[in-house]
Amino acid sequence: MKTTAPLLLLIEDDPQFRLLLRTTLESQDYRVLTAAAGRDGLIEARNQRPNLLILDLGLPDIDGQEVIRRLRTWSEVPIIVLSARDQESDITQALDNGADDYLTKPFGTAELMSRIKALLRRVAKLPGGAQEYFQVGELKIELTKRRVFVGEREVHLTPIEFRLLSVLVRNAGFVVTHRQLLEKVWGASYVEHSHYLRIYMGQLRHKIESDPAQPRYLLTEAGVGYRLSTEEIQ
Amino acid sequence: MKSISKVTEKHFDRQGSEFSYIYWFWGIAVPLLLTLIDWPFRQILTPSNILLVYLLGVFFVAIRFGLWPSILGALVSAAAFAFFFAPPIFSFAIADPENLVGLAVMLLVGAVTSNLAENVRTQTRVAEHREQRAAALYRLSKELAEARLETEIIEIGVRHIHSEFGGRNTFLFPDCNGLVCYPDEPPLGISLRGADLSIARRVFSNGQMAGYGTDTAPDETAVYISLNGSTGTIGVLVLEPVDVCRISVPEQRQLLDTFVNLIVHALERAKLAEQAKDATLKMQAETLRNSLLSSISHDLRTPLATIVGAASTLETDEERLTKDSRRKLVGAISEEAQRMSELTTKILEMARLEAGEVLLNRQWYAPEEIVGSALRRLDKKLKNRQVNVHMADNLALIHVDAVLLQQVMVNLLDNADKYSTAGLPIDISVVTTPFSLSITVADRGQGIPEDLQQKIFDKFFRIHTESAQSGVGLGLSICRAIVEAHGGDIQVSNRSGGGSMFQLHIPILECPPTIDPEEKD
Repeated sequence: MKTTAPLLLLIEDDPQFRLLLRTTLESQDYRVLTAAAGRDGLIEARNQRPNLLILDLGLPDIDGQEVIRRLRTWSEVPIIVLSARDQESDITQALDNGADDYLTKPFGTAELMSRIKALLRRVAKLPGGAQEYFQVGELKIELTKRRVFVGEREVHLTPIEFRLLSVLVRNAGFVVTHRQLLEKVWGASYVEHSHYLRIYMGQLRHKIESDPAQPRYLLTEAGVGYRLSTEEIQ
Repeated sequence: MKSISKVTEKHFDRQGSEFSYIYWFWGIAVPLLLTLIDWPFRQILTPSNILLVYLLGVFFVAIRFGLWPSILGALVSAAAFAFFFAPPIFSFAIADPENLVGLAVMLLVGAVTSNLAENVRTQTRVAEHREQRAAALYRLSKELAEARLETEIIEIGVRHIHSEFGGRNTFLFPDCNGLVCYPDEPPLGISLRGADLSIARRVFSNGQMAGYGTDTAPDETAVYISLNGSTGTIGVLVLEPVDVCRISVPEQRQLLDTFVNLIVHALERAKLAEQAKDATLKMQAETLRNSLLSSISHDLRTPLATIVGAASTLETDEERLTKDSRRKLVGAISEEAQRMSELTTKILEMARLEAGEVLLNRQWYAPEEIVGSALRRLDKKLKNRQVNVHMADNLALIHVDAVLLQQVMVNLLDNADKYSTAGLPIDISVVTTPFSLSITVADRGQGIPEDLQQKIFDKFFRIHTESAQSGVGLGLSICRAIVEAHGGDIQVSNRSGGGSMFQLHIPILECPPTIDPEEKD
């Protein structure tokens, strides 16, 4: 095992599931630390400084949401949340608290691996400064020049539509919650006005997608938020 | 109803002094009037004839105005006769002994007849009242017989007691802790408010009357009467009579008791009916639970058997298995686990909806977004299928719980995929009007026999039971529960040209919000 391999911290109370994830992750050449409870997890995170955290929301001692909040007071480490409760409100809350991505149990390990890779890639990219160019499928976006193309055709966006798209581009591949989008595009006083987001998202889809009812790029995570796809769906 | 209370009032008022003056007046006036009439004929008529005329007057007074006015009338008649007609005239002296005897007979006959007349009158009056009470009871029992709900019965009781006995009244019943408390329903206009709960509770526990006119709490303005049912006291009637006579007279007291008994019986009957209904519901729930258990045990055990079997084979016989069969076993485990996971999700979802826990998280959503996210969730399954989405051009937002509605779409599309041959198209159409949203999901499968079109929305109903194709039989019940939670409805019909068509309507209750137009920069 290479010492340079990324260090993952897994906070999960179920021993079988912990074993499964640990085995799977180690087979992918990650170094894995585990904790069975929230407090232990927080201590491990402080001492070991992992590159990424996988957190189960239902923990025996402190609530997973609380773990995220405490962690975010001093650390920017990427967090993937695992939830057995398929309550969208839990997931939304976790993301609003600062988690980066989520998976609902049960999930395939391949899915987890791709999320981990994507998150680690994003962290590695961040110090390089502002992203300038984004492309997926036919969609091309030049952030600094504020230009958007679908294939060869240039699409004209209003300032708000462009702001909305650029927030999604900066988090491409990751879900951005309704609240985060409203706050970043319209401002903090608009977080309850979700209809703004729906209307502009509809407009944006009609300008960018070939079939707005079956979007390829601007994907809906029902009840949670939106995700800009980074791989083209066939 | 009105006529009764009027008569009752008359009955009680007649005993008051005001009317008696008029009766006494007639006792004097009738003989004087007769004196005036007789006076011109005093030469023609003999004194005995005149006495007969006076006797007629006394009869009349006796029949119309009762015993005592008639005796007064007889005395006045005697005096007038003695003074004006019996010689010597203009003197109370009576010379002829025949006239004296006649006078005495008149007094006696007057007294006897008026007594008889009074008796007849009293009996008539009693009979009238009895009839009115019977009519009142009949009306009450008729209305009670038609009432089904406890609240209805109480309302009828309050109304009838008010009109029959005058005065506000209310029924108090014990709460779940067995303590008498104020009712939850808003009171009627004629309900009594502010009854003393401590007295009501005492009456409830000892079954004795209390309040006005009794030994317990006589200072109260209201009477507290316990409602005694077949299994003990069930509540308390609090009545604040405007006139205490109306309930203190024995007949009226009896009538009130009968009223109370009728109401108590009606209440007990309603309670029994309720219990019977509860029992039926419980039985239905029991049946449902049994079908749930048998369904779950089949649907979860079958994949579980594969998983346990395959895993144990892998565990014990690892060396002897070829690489290919190992891969097949692992594939089976993963596939069956996936199936179990879907079933569990559905069962949990249904349980959540059933428990009534689901509060709709309504927000404004674009219909196309809901359809789109449902299609994306199924994109692996629907890869080889043509899905035609027909979406009306307007972008009106709808106020719904998008997560649940997406679940409806996923279930409908999943069914369409499951029950129609691979490769045949699925058509979705979405139409919004200012009042409703309609979504149609249509396939080209076999369709659903008409006699089963209602049943397929029932829990655990499957057209082909225990076939490998079908799920647990919950998908459509979940759909219906969600659509109904939105106040809408869902139906299935057969499509012309083959296949089935599911159609759901969701009413739009609020106008979509508007947004400030964007400023151009």
